[in-house]
Amino acid sequence: MADKAMIGREAEGATISIDAESVRDFARGIGETNPLYFDEEAARAAGYDNVVAPPTYPIAFMAESMNADLFFELNLNMPSLVHGGQEFEYYRPVVAGEKLTLKGRIADIWEKQGRSGVLDFVVMEATAHDEGGDPVYTSRITLISRRVDEEEEEEE
Amino acid sequence: MSASSVRYSVGDELDPLVIGEITKELIAEYSRVSHDPNPMHTDEELARSAGHPTVFAQGMLGMAFLARHLTDLAGVGNLRRFKVRFQTMTWPGETITCRAKVANLQETDGRSLVTCDIHTENQDGEPKVVGTATFEAVQ
Repeated sequence: MADKAMIGREAEGATISIDAESVRDFARGIGETNPLYFDEEAARAAGYDNVVAPPTYPIAFMAESMNADLFFELNLNMPSLVHGGQEFEYYRPVVAGEKLTLKGRIADIWEKQGRSGVLDFVVMEATAHDEGGDPVYTSRITLISRRVDEEEEEEE
Repeated sequence: MSASSVRYSVGDELDPLVIGEITKELIAEYSRVSHDPNPMHTDEELARSAGHPTVFAQGMLGMAFLARHLTDLAGVGNLRRFKVRFQTMTWPGETITCRAKVANLQETDGRSLVTCDIHTENQDGEPKVVGTATFEAVQ
């Protein structure tokens, strides 16, 4: 089970470089055709320094904002884990060639009685800032884990 | 055709985006480009042993389709808030369409914000990825 005392705990965070080829690869993988995602000239003409990343591209490096120790301390039932929901707030698009500083934190934890037992909900928040210190986006990922009941745990 | 010429009213159903058929290849390719390590999307045998009929699509692939719909409608760089829940799984062989309906209009600091109820659905109209999004209508 996830301990509510972990709400507010922060991860170490990371700085990542946005690579144009990785952006193009992602855009191609989701069937995008918008030239701003592929063509540097088109992106420059629209006022960007390099190709722009599609809105959900941050998921490709989301794991960087959370350190493994903190994640495992949540003690979630890994085989049951599902991505229940996802939220983004955008200040501007992510642009290839820039460096983003990611900070992760446990934003919320709650539980709910489901049909197959107790479900733990965990919201992990990640904020990205650019080199000038301005916010680029905030992401909130909701994970749902089915709690292993104590009898089941004893059998293992 | 520019987003700037569009006038929105609450209740408007915006032009849908037809994505087409979801294939195992598309799902596997999305795992690669999004660095999704979950083998349930790529390993047929494992998916079956877990009680699924086959591999299933990533929720985030559906969200990516909705993002494409929204940026087609509003223009790149105008999305402000985007929230979804992954309601039911999307399977290979299903045909996916993105839909958006205007739920709220707001004028803030000279900016026109349009909030839509959005979802992906299969060929039978069954909703898959469901949520809301707010974009700035550029005048």
